[in-house]
Formats: sequence, C-alpha cells, structure tokens
Amino acid sequence: MISRERCIPLASLLSLILLLMAACSSATPTPTATPTQAPAPAPTPTPTATLVPTATPISLASEFEGVPGIVDPTNFGWPRQVEGLNGMATIPSKPSRVITASVGHDEIAVSLIPLARLVGVGEATKNTTFSNVAHLVQDTPTITRDPETIIALSPDAVVTSPFFAAEGIDALSRLGIPVVQTDLIQGPEERIESILLMGYILGEEERAIEFAAEVRDRYDSLASVTDAASPKPRVLALTQYSDTIWTAGAGSTEGGIITAAGGINTAEEAGITGNMTTNLEGVIAMAPDVVIIPQPADFGAGEFRQSLLENAALAEVPAIKNGQVHVVESKRFTTLSHWNILGIEALARILWPDLFPNPIDYEFSLPGSVNL
Amino acid sequence: MIRTVGANALRSYRQSGVVTRLAASSCVILLLVLATVLVSLSMGPVNISVDRVASIVLSYAGLDLAPFGRTEQLIIEQIRLPRIVVGALVGMALGVAGATMQGLFRNPMADPGIIGVSAGGAVGAVVAIATGMTGLFFLALPVFAFVGAMGAAFLVYGIAAVGGRFSMATLLLAGVAVNAFLGAIVSAIIILLPDNGALREILFWLAGGLDSRSWEHVRISAPLVLVGTAVIMVMTRDLNLLTLGDDEARSMGIRVDAARVLLLAAAALVTGAAVAVSGTIAFVGLVTPHILRLVLGPDHRVLVPMSALGGAAFVILADTVARVVIQPAELRVSIITAFVGAPFFIFLLIKNKRQVYSL
Repeated sequence: MISRERCIPLASLLSLILLLMAACSSATPTPTATPTQAPAPAPTPTPTATLVPTATPISLASEFEGVPGIVDPTNFGWPRQVEGLNGMATIPSKPSRVITASVGHDEIAVSLIPLARLVGVGEATKNTTFSNVAHLVQDTPTITRDPETIIALSPDAVVTSPFFAAEGIDALSRLGIPVVQTDLIQGPEERIESILLMGYILGEEERAIEFAAEVRDRYDSLASVTDAASPKPRVLALTQYSDTIWTAGAGSTEGGIITAAGGINTAEEAGITGNMTTNLEGVIAMAPDVVIIPQPADFGAGEFRQSLLENAALAEVPAIKNGQVHVVESKRFTTLSHWNILGIEALARILWPDLFPNPIDYEFSLPGSVNL
Repeated sequence: MIRTVGANALRSYRQSGVVTRLAASSCVILLLVLATVLVSLSMGPVNISVDRVASIVLSYAGLDLAPFGRTEQLIIEQIRLPRIVVGALVGMALGVAGATMQGLFRNPMADPGIIGVSAGGAVGAVVAIATGMTGLFFLALPVFAFVGAMGAAFLVYGIAAVGGRFSMATLLLAGVAVNAFLGAIVSAIIILLPDNGALREILFWLAGGLDSRSWEHVRISAPLVLVGTAVIMVMTRDLNLLTLGDDEARSMGIRVDAARVLLLAAAALVTGAAVAVSGTIAFVGLVTPHILRLVLGPDHRVLVPMSALGGAAFVILADTVARVVIQPAELRVSIITAFVGAPFFIFLLIKNKRQVYSL
C-alpha cells in the first residue's frame, strides 16, 4: 500500500509528466493551430480562395512569361502558385503583411510595396553598413533566425533566401503561412526576373513591370557605354578580414559587377570560382590593373588599402604601381539586389573616368513614384 | 630536475645509445625539414625556379650565384619565408607539446588541447574578432588568443591543484570540463553575433591557417616556442621517469609534482604561442609524436626533439599544399593536416595494432 505522504508527491509527479506530455504534443502544431503568442491573429489557412482568377491582360502576361518560379503567367487572380526552391507554394490572396527575410529580398520588396506592408526585417537590413534601405526600415519590427519572431508578426506571405533554415520554413508552412524560398542570382536579366517574381508573389504586377523597366534602363544605359569601351581593364576585388585576404571569382556578386562595368575579372581569369581566400603572392600572380576593396571602412578597408600600397613586394603590380587601389562602398558591391547597379556605376566611373565624368547621384524610385 | 643536465645525463645518454639514435634520426628528419623548406620556397602562384630560390637564399650568406629580380627576392623574403618559419614554429610547438602530453598522461591519445589551451586560445581570438579589436591593432588577434590560451591552462591547473594536492586525473577531467565550457562560450558568441563578416572571420580562424604570416608573427611566437621547447628538451629524462609512475620517478630522485608542473607549463606555453599565430591546427600534436613513437620507440629523449622536427616538416608541407593546390586561391592548412594526417594515422594504427596496445 502507498502511504498518504508518498501519494501526494507521486500524484504531483504524475501530473507534471502529463503536463509535459501535453506540452510536447502541442509543440507540433497543425496548420489550423494558433501561434503561441495570444495577441497575434491566426494565419490564414491555405488554400481558401476568395477571388476567382481574373481575365489576363495580354501585355501583363507577356511581361511575366518565362519568369522562373511563376507557374501560370496568365493567372493574375488569387490563389496563385509559385514554385520556389522549397517546392510549390500557394498564395491564397494578395498579401497584406509581408516578410522578405533577407537583405536582398527586403531591398526588392521596399521598391515594390508600401513600407506599411513590410511587417518585419532582419537586423542586417536595418544596418547601414550592409543594407541600402536601412534608413527606410528603422521603425519596422525586427525578426531573427527564430521562426517564432516571424510567426509573432502574423505575416500572410514570407519570401526567404536559400540560407533560411529548412526547419524554419517547415514551421511556418505548418502554420499555414505561404513561404517562397528564392535565390537572387547575379546578372541584369536575373535581377529583373527577381523583381518580376517578387511583384507577382506580392500582387504588385504593374509596379513590378514599371520598376523592372527602370532597372533595365539603368543597366542598358551603362552597357551602351561600357560595351564599346576598350581596352578592358583587369580588375581584382579584394577584402581582408583579420589576416585572411578574400577575392571574388566567377559567379560572385563582385565579379558580376566588374564584368557589367566593362572590366575583366582577374580572379575569374585565374580560375577562381565564388568568394575564395587568396594571398599576397596570388595578387602578384594575377597582376590586376585596378584593385577594388568592397569592404566597410569600419572593418579596416582604409588600412588594408594602405598596406597594399606600402608593401614593397607588390610594387610591380600594375594597380599598385599606378595607385589604382580603390575602397568602394561594400553594400553596393555585395548586395543581391538591383542596388548593385550603383556599384556598377561607381566602378564604371573608376574604370572610365572620361566616359562617366559626373557622379550618378540618383537612386531608385519607390512605390508612388517617390524617389529615395 | 636540473640534474638531468650535465655529466650524469650525458653518461646516461651514451650508455643507452640515445646519442646514436638521436643523431641518426636527427639527420633523417633534418634532411626532411630542409627538403620541405626548399620545396615550399620554390612553390607558389608566382613561378620562381629552384635555382633562383637557391640564389636568393644563398645571397644572404654573401654568395652570388645567379641574377634574380627584386620582386622575386621580396616574394621569398617577405611572403614565403616568414610563412614557412611560422609554420615550422607552430609544427615544432605542437609536436613537442603533443609528445609531452602523451608522456605525462601516459596516453597516446592525449594532445596539446587536453588542458584547454586550444579552446582558451579560441575564446580569446573570438572575443577579439567579435569586439572589433582586430581592426584596431595589428597583433590583437595573437595577443588575445595567447592570453586566452594561458588563462585556460591556468584555470585547468588551478582546478587540478585545489586543496594543495595536484592530481593528473583531476587535471584531465578539469580539462574536459573547461574545454566544454569554453566551447560553449565560442558557440554562444557565434550564434549571437549579428555580423556575417565577423562570423566568417571566426570560422576561418577556428579552421587554422598560416595566410599572411609576417616576420612580426615570427618575432612574437619564436621566443615563447623556443624557450618552452628548450625547457621540455632539458626535462625529457624526467618525462621518461614520470611515465613509469610517480613512485618509480620519486625513487629515481625526481621531484614529481614540480617536474610535472614545469612540463605542463612549458607545453601550455608553446601551444598557446602556436595557437596565437595559427589558430587551431588539427592533428599535428596528436599524429606526429604518435607516428614517431611507432618508428623510434617511446624514449622521450629521442621522441621530443624528433617530434619538434617532424611537426615542423608536417606543417610546412601541409601549408605548401594548402597554398598551391588551388592557387592563386588557397585552402586552410588545418584541412590538409586532417586530410593527410587522419588516414595516415588510421593506416598506422591498423598496421601496428599490437605495438600500439603495448605503448
């Protein structure tokens, strides 16, 4: 027989175990489950179409034809389907509470939708060192890698980069939040496709077309000058963090900017792919005409430039000999959005000072034709 | 302790044939080190022929063999040579510290990181990077890493010596606990760091590397590594006796606790100096003494100096591969030491299974 003295703690223990089991079972919510934070409204379950697909304007359809990720470019009604890196996502209605969880995606979204619809951004997007739209989103709530911070903001659409954890996407999807994971690929056409895809996801087709045209114009006006310019200078992008020297080869954002500005990427020429570490001897071997340092000043860009110019072993490198070592604004060279056009323009002015005598000082339009 | 130096030691060395074995193995491994240095000096993204490298090196001895360019001379003098010397010092330090730890713990699986030095160095370096100190002054990273390494070693030793009675078992357990604790600090900093650039910097430091090493790095690490190595070399006989057990060692006139503390301090010093200038390079401290013990036997009077040379050759060779295999880009040296060291180590373990068990 169990005594009464033992019975009470035993019962307490049993209740505790039952409570824990209940908590564990509720930790895997079904799509209809309410998020843990009480004040947040429950997300809209998928797919509950409220609008039937509308008739397709022919001009609109032709703009979105062939954009990777858009399943049916003739469907401009709701629901609409998008194929992301995480598979097929159905967006039930025009999203009014949007989270685009990477700096590049945020920079695109800011150009397409009113800021009020962007309900959360990452810390990096608010940081002026890394983000080109930091000054616009300072009052926007902050999200972290923890999906709970996203769920708490009750978004009705989330667009993420390939670096967003699969577990996070799974957690959001299980709550019925449509998640589209897209890659932001380097290159003018790819940048324009990213804008169109984002516009389609967010239900801002006309603004996306208008903005894509603006971006295309800027690419084209640059290319019309740099394509014909010769001889092409050999350019090397270098950064140094602590003692490690990095360079940017084929397929890198910086490499794409060098090529778009009319230069030859020497790292790509040397067989380097992506962002790789190199050393001073590698710099000598690659012998660039121009060195650019897309590194924030706070992270020692000026000191690195000085050390390159003062290193006697590098004295015969053309870029060093001719003083062609330039610190450039890193966020324009490393972002995965259309904002790197400003990087291309800045580099074009370095490479072709006679062809671009004046600074290009305008940025991008915002929805409602307000310039930044 | 000090009795190990002097006439008695020399007589003992002669009687046991140590001098002969030491001389023979020194010749072989010294030749290996010289060969790796020459190979390393002649390889890199810029093509400099072996005869030009020889001319440049011999020009410092006043010999004028063949003409060479100023840039070639600077590449050898300011880029390749300091890197090779730092690599040699790091390899020497890790080899010597590994042999010492394996002897002290009487365990062939012990390595220099066992007393928390590597983890402490990692915490120091990560703090320097995360707080932005590395951008403020050139030597912030090695200084922070060294302070962290020595701090961790003192902490582990302090725990093992609590109550005035030092115990190797407690030292080992304290090392495990402190390593885990410091590892958690590193993980916490990495997770909480908002800056991806610093994050990448930390991960690269943790992967170990010798890129951009300069004569400054040689100047700060060489005195510490050489002093620590000299102390351990002088005490190799004591180390031999300590492996027999405390009672045996005492009966042979060794002040066991003092000898052990001095050996631990010297091993921590050299490891801390190595970690400070190279990050954590895997496998050298474990594999080098182990392999050499299989070849040369367990006598520390031979094993320690040969581990110094063997470690130096191993790191120089691994670093040469790291910087030429995908030139002009480069890999981290620790990747090469693990890629080469681990399979070779497994091969030796399988081949010499019986011999290993008897160690």
